[in-house]
Amino acid sequence: MIERTLIVGMGNPYLRDDGVGIRLAMDLMARLGLPEGIRRGPGGILPGVHIEPECSLGGLTLVELIDGFDRLVVLDSIATRDGVPGDWHHFTAEALRETMNLSSVHDANFATALELGRRMGMRLPADAEVLVYAVEVEDTLTFDTAMSPSMEARYGEFSAAIFADLAGVLPATLEQAAGI
Amino acid sequence: MRSIKIDPITRLEGHGKIEIFLDDDGAVNDCYFQIPELRGFERFVVGRPIEELPRIVTRICGVCPASHHMASAKAVDGCFGGELPPLARKLREMYYQAHYIHSHIAHFYALAAPDFVCGPDCDPATRNILGVVQKVGLEIGGQVIKARAMAQDIQTILGGRSTHVVWCIPGGVSKGLTKEELERIRPMADQLYDFTLFSLQLFKDVVLSNPGYVDLILNGPYTLNVHNMGLVDDNNAPNFYDGKVRVVDYEGNEICKYGPEDYHHHVAEHVEPWTYLKFPYLKQRGWKGFVEGIDTSLYCATPLSRLNVADRMATPRAQEAFEEMFKVLGAKPCRALLAQHWARLVEMVQNAEVLKRYVNDPEITGPEYRVVPQRITGEGVGIVEAMRGTLTHHYTCDEKGICTSANLIVGTTNNNAPIQMVTKKVAQALIQPGKEITEPVLNMVEMAFRAFDPCYSCATHTLPGQMPLEAVIHQGGQVVKTLRKNLG
Repeated sequence: MIERTLIVGMGNPYLRDDGVGIRLAMDLMARLGLPEGIRRGPGGILPGVHIEPECSLGGLTLVELIDGFDRLVVLDSIATRDGVPGDWHHFTAEALRETMNLSSVHDANFATALELGRRMGMRLPADAEVLVYAVEVEDTLTFDTAMSPSMEARYGEFSAAIFADLAGVLPATLEQAAGI
Repeated sequence: MRSIKIDPITRLEGHGKIEIFLDDDGAVNDCYFQIPELRGFERFVVGRPIEELPRIVTRICGVCPASHHMASAKAVDGCFGGELPPLARKLREMYYQAHYIHSHIAHFYALAAPDFVCGPDCDPATRNILGVVQKVGLEIGGQVIKARAMAQDIQTILGGRSTHVVWCIPGGVSKGLTKEELERIRPMADQLYDFTLFSLQLFKDVVLSNPGYVDLILNGPYTLNVHNMGLVDDNNAPNFYDGKVRVVDYEGNEICKYGPEDYHHHVAEHVEPWTYLKFPYLKQRGWKGFVEGIDTSLYCATPLSRLNVADRMATPRAQEAFEEMFKVLGAKPCRALLAQHWARLVEMVQNAEVLKRYVNDPEITGPEYRVVPQRITGEGVGIVEAMRGTLTHHYTCDEKGICTSANLIVGTTNNNAPIQMVTKKVAQALIQPGKEITEPVLNMVEMAFRAFDPCYSCATHTLPGQMPLEAVIHQGGQVVKTLRKNLG
């Protein structure tokens, strides 16, 4: 039963394409009419969909942020070898964990931190409920608030596709969101 | 000549690589620690309203955003005449103690402890925070998580939001502390105090009870004869938010002590062609190269440096811990860089005590937490002690308050030259002709710079969120061996 969903936009809004996840989250927040931030009541986090549209956290700090949620949606950037700017990937933390298991766990990275948090008794989303949407980027090294032209040209296309996919993956969430 | 390249370094933020050059016999000839760091932030902020800068600079780094926020706010205060109500200073300082505790906990348990609790030569698959928890017990792991959450909660209550603080504004802070909020913080401050003492005891139990570790700290190659820098209050006790910068040589003599506005008389930056990161040095001594010795112009700005420059701690329990630490280390100033980890825990005790002091301050919930600036003076320098070293923000603005220049000397940059030097020193000591270069040996080289808790983070987060590591060994111009980790 998914009662509490957190959507986060990851990245840095001042590093050109690194801000794409934040822009997507801002757009999604407006589209869903969601208030910004995590809403808490006397019993803890309120049921429903919450959004942190700008989140430049990783590892332990990110896990601490998602404590109490059943589902996490991450909107982020990614740069893979031979990746095409504007293409996007969708995977869950299960895939992330597979990736991690290929090599040594050597850092308090997200997968390690998730595992640690669970062992410590935190209420964290199952790996299958950590949904990552990652857009291939061109430039994350230049200080700028605007995206690269190649990314900007494709923004409408990939944002619509991601939101459509998200609607397909999370119909219940979006229904909840619409009710807020 | 063959070279070993470790790229990038694990367990530190951002990206860097080490290149170790061996001679034909396999001994270390030279060692470079290179930072392909992002430059340009200082130019990016020019032309923006100066009061926006404290909100923008938090994105320089996802690890110590509050340090940049505080230093920037102080610099902006200066640009607007520097008037600040006493309560605003108290609230900012209170916030900063919680930020310090939050960061120091992560460093000790996630970054330093794997080397000491698990052992520097244990399997890298378990030499991480999960390995630490495995060793010290799930219950302690739970306490770590809880303490981190409390330190974060206190920041959220004070600053009004959990990420990317926007609380410090010219002339003060944007919100005060209500009595109800204070009562939420009170029990957390008490528990954090207990946790800092617990962590200190854990260090003693795990590290100091192991003669091998003590020997590694005191007699290993992890020592450097360079000077020390840190912010101190009027009593020469460490102050992380405010005060004067004191520089003390490694024999304990004060070299200089100056207010933030004079920093440019005392610190200059040297440039090398092989790295983007500059090398700060003591300006009045001049750049003398990467040399140790009493005449060197190089200094460290680290937790251990902060305690080395201090005559005392600002709080009683931290004072006891301070005295005990230097007694065991056998000298003050202490040059054993691995003692950073201990110094960090001593600092954390002071953080918790200062936090408790503010919780019990009858004025802390007062209404006078901001004055609206009435004039623009055009220049300001803000210095705080970031967890990783003295952090300087220097801004100028025009008569409309538009930023005309910005200069930042960030915590880790201060330590750039010492990091270079100790890395080379440790590599030379551990990598020797005829001895196999194993992963534990490379880890012990990494321990040299991890002691500094270096942070080269700008982009703050990239998937998959784990540093790849590559070691390439060259001989006679050919790649003879490539070791890869985390490269998929």
